[in-house]
Amino acid sequence: MEGGINAWDGLRAAGPPEAGMAHFPEGASPEVLLALAWLLEEGSRRFYAELAGSAGDKDAQKLFGDLAQAEKHHEESLAGLYAKLSGKEARAGFHRDLIPGGTSEDIMEGGMSVAEGLSWAKGKGVREVLELAISLEANAYDLYIKMDRNMEKNAKAREVFSLLMLEEKQHLSRLASLLDRKM
Amino acid sequence: MGVLDYFKPVETMTAEDVRAFLGSKKPDEYNLVDVRQPKEYERGHLPGARLIPVDDIPDRYKELDLNKPTIAY
Repeated sequence: MEGGINAWDGLRAAGPPEAGMAHFPEGASPEVLLALAWLLEEGSRRFYAELAGSAGDKDAQKLFGDLAQAEKHHEESLAGLYAKLSGKEARAGFHRDLIPGGTSEDIMEGGMSVAEGLSWAKGKGVREVLELAISLEANAYDLYIKMDRNMEKNAKAREVFSLLMLEEKQHLSRLASLLDRKM
Repeated sequence: MGVLDYFKPVETMTAEDVRAFLGSKKPDEYNLVDVRQPKEYERGHLPGARLIPVDDIPDRYKELDLNKPTIAY
């Protein structure tokens, strides 16, 4: 690419190559991966739902509301796939029985704590909050691409990560397009 | 990879071309390689890029699917 990274003014992810993957241990069963992904989606859903309620800008309220809804749909897709793979019902809290050693539930896509993200966003302008959301989604997109690549031999897990990857890409374009309008 | 491969012309793309290319493809349809150093990668990289620092390329190029287009930066 001409000019290298300096010429790139688009989305960027941050962190080392393995960033975020610690949440998805290598060799984990597709069911465990689904439970972990569900947890991250739930964190993002709570984050966007809170932002939808607190954003001062109407377009941002609408977009954050839509994203909260989209994360809810992701959860449903993940729970549906879990039921299909395991043959068990994905009842509320199903992820808790699957995650080895338990894990903090205060986490969202991009690896950030929900509380930390919300506290940062308090009192910030719409552009700054959109920029944070973009960076979280860019990291989530980065992570799901890498997970999809790492799961080369696990067709079912790839199915999950491919779906999430493509949806994150759509979220990113919606956020970026709103940010463009607010510039 | 033979010595002649080092003399093959390499097509360059502008950042705008890369954006359009990445936007129109799925991530498993291309190789996206960051050839900088790990610290630079950590500070910011294109989503989904593999880190293969330039010095490591001779040993690690086989990690890439050579049947797919490769974008390096």
